[in-house]
Amino acid sequence: MAVETTGLLSLRGFAVPGFVRQVRRRLAGAFLVVFGVVTLTFLFTRVFAADPTTLLAPPNATAAERAAVRSRLGLGDPLPVQYFHYLGDLLHGNLGTSYLTGRPVTSDLLERLPATAELATYALILGILGGVTAGVLAAVFEGSIFDRMLRVVTSAGLALPQFWVALMLLWFFFVKFGLLPGPTGRLPIGMAPPPTVTGFYLIDSVVTGHLSDFGPALAQLCLPVLTLSSGVWAPLARGARSAMVLALKSDYVRTARALGLSRRRIWFVYALRNALLPVITMLAGAVAWAFSGSVLVEGAFGWPGVGHYALSALEGSDFPAVEGFVLYASILYVIVYQLLDLAYYLADPRIRS
Amino acid sequence: MTRVLDQTVEPVGRNRSRVGRIASALPIGVRGIRTSTAALPTGLSVLGFLVLISLTSALWTPYSPTATGTGPVSAAPTGAHWFGTDSVGSDVFSRTVAAGRTDVLYTLTVVAIALLVGSVWGAIVGYFGGWLEWATLRLLEVVQAFPALLMVLFIISIVGPGTINVILVAAIIPLPDFVRLARAEVLTKKNWQFAEAARMVGNRPMVVLFKHLMPNSLRPLLAYASISAAWVVGSIAALGYIGLGIQPDAVEWGSMIARGQSDVMAGDWWESFFPGIGILLLAIGFQLVGDGLSSHRGEER
Repeated sequence: MAVETTGLLSLRGFAVPGFVRQVRRRLAGAFLVVFGVVTLTFLFTRVFAADPTTLLAPPNATAAERAAVRSRLGLGDPLPVQYFHYLGDLLHGNLGTSYLTGRPVTSDLLERLPATAELATYALILGILGGVTAGVLAAVFEGSIFDRMLRVVTSAGLALPQFWVALMLLWFFFVKFGLLPGPTGRLPIGMAPPPTVTGFYLIDSVVTGHLSDFGPALAQLCLPVLTLSSGVWAPLARGARSAMVLALKSDYVRTARALGLSRRRIWFVYALRNALLPVITMLAGAVAWAFSGSVLVEGAFGWPGVGHYALSALEGSDFPAVEGFVLYASILYVIVYQLLDLAYYLADPRIRS
Repeated sequence: MTRVLDQTVEPVGRNRSRVGRIASALPIGVRGIRTSTAALPTGLSVLGFLVLISLTSALWTPYSPTATGTGPVSAAPTGAHWFGTDSVGSDVFSRTVAAGRTDVLYTLTVVAIALLVGSVWGAIVGYFGGWLEWATLRLLEVVQAFPALLMVLFIISIVGPGTINVILVAAIIPLPDFVRLARAEVLTKKNWQFAEAARMVGNRPMVVLFKHLMPNSLRPLLAYASISAAWVVGSIAALGYIGLGIQPDAVEWGSMIARGQSDVMAGDWWESFFPGIGILLLAIGFQLVGDGLSSHRGEER
């Protein structure tokens, strides 16, 4: 089958069947990992976890009442049966019912996703642009003061605990100088959100004409975005720097230099394109991490996203909710990773052999 | 030609793990970097300084770290209380240095466990290969798909808090990277001449592996251990901050930050500020040592 279409359909010089095979192989790999994640989560919560009846039944409940709770939750069945029910539910998008909110975990998560997505999007944009720019500049001016300063700053950026950064930023900008609002979530308390179009308050307030929401929403976003992006830009700056340094030392750059091309052309056309390739793979972790809502950052700012949800679920021993969130985050990671790996495959002709 | 090259590059360049990708990028990246040779000594002196303070704090602190009412309540830093006092009048300086002892000890234990178990495991599967290697790699993929910190919190919430549990669970996170690194090291070296020679004179596989191969891989493993320690410092503190695993009133940096949180929001920054600086210093120290060790390796080549 692969042979039939070779040469007929080719995209930028490589055969499409090769691409299809790649996609298929990756899908199979991703499926295996997701299956493993699901199984491991199941084992953890059903085999090792504390008895949920202690949470759901009144403290003075009789053994019979506890048994009733157990069978209502489907915990009375043998493990393999529970496992099959669990898999079936998952295939229907059913992550169970939260003990705390009493609602399906899936709808709880979906409801909170826009908040996380808005925060993650801006933090990623800021982090990626800042990190890659700083890293590339440091490599171009290798050994300069800027390069050395950046080395120190990225070390600190990698080492800083984000819950502490959040707290200190809040102290400085909110408590001390009152420049930015406090940790009250996406809008000041008592303010109505703009009508939902995209779920992003900044975009929605413009699109629906509720411009009065734009300013406050932007102000609320500043500190969480800054905190979250600090976790993105530091590793990217390091990665971009070492990739760019390597590219600048390569034979093709030396050749380009020997041919008398301008420095700017060499840096930004030849070296940069090659240096950015390895950075693509580094992005997977950052993207997945930001979209699974940094648990601690969202917690610190009272941001009503999925990370905050997971944190309160953890504190309240709400296992279905924690389980649902863990599944969401790991599946997201697998998907993002595979997609970016595929992008890498498309962008780098050397690994398409 | 390119084919051969790609195949040898593959396990490094397309590593699946998050931290592992950074670590495996090191030998490549570092080769081109004119590294500051100051990284290793600077890092070692930062760590030495912190260890010294921690050891001293076991014998003497200005006030007892757990004593309340050692001075005025919520007082800003002064000559008598260098880092100020908290809302119950405990001395923040004494608490910060005593907490450092906890964090240094936890971090070193976690990393030592992960390093030891991970490198033995990785070395064995790398050397013998087979289904065990396949199963290991699949298992690592699954484990690393979980968001790291959340997995720790998740497991702790299930197995329950306590020092031993926290240490063992925290060790799970860096473990996969050690397994991968040790495996990759053994894979590249097991067919080199010195290994061949060691086999030829009749050494048993385990002897070849642990007496001849592994000592050659010590440096990258230690470099990575140091880099992952920087991460472990943060997660131990995060566990203390959330109050899962490490008791909320424990003398530990993360717990201190959490305890001071409401005071910071009332303007008393010092109670949470100094433990954060402790975490920062410890993590940077480990980071620098790791950088130094791995770049030294690059210079040798």
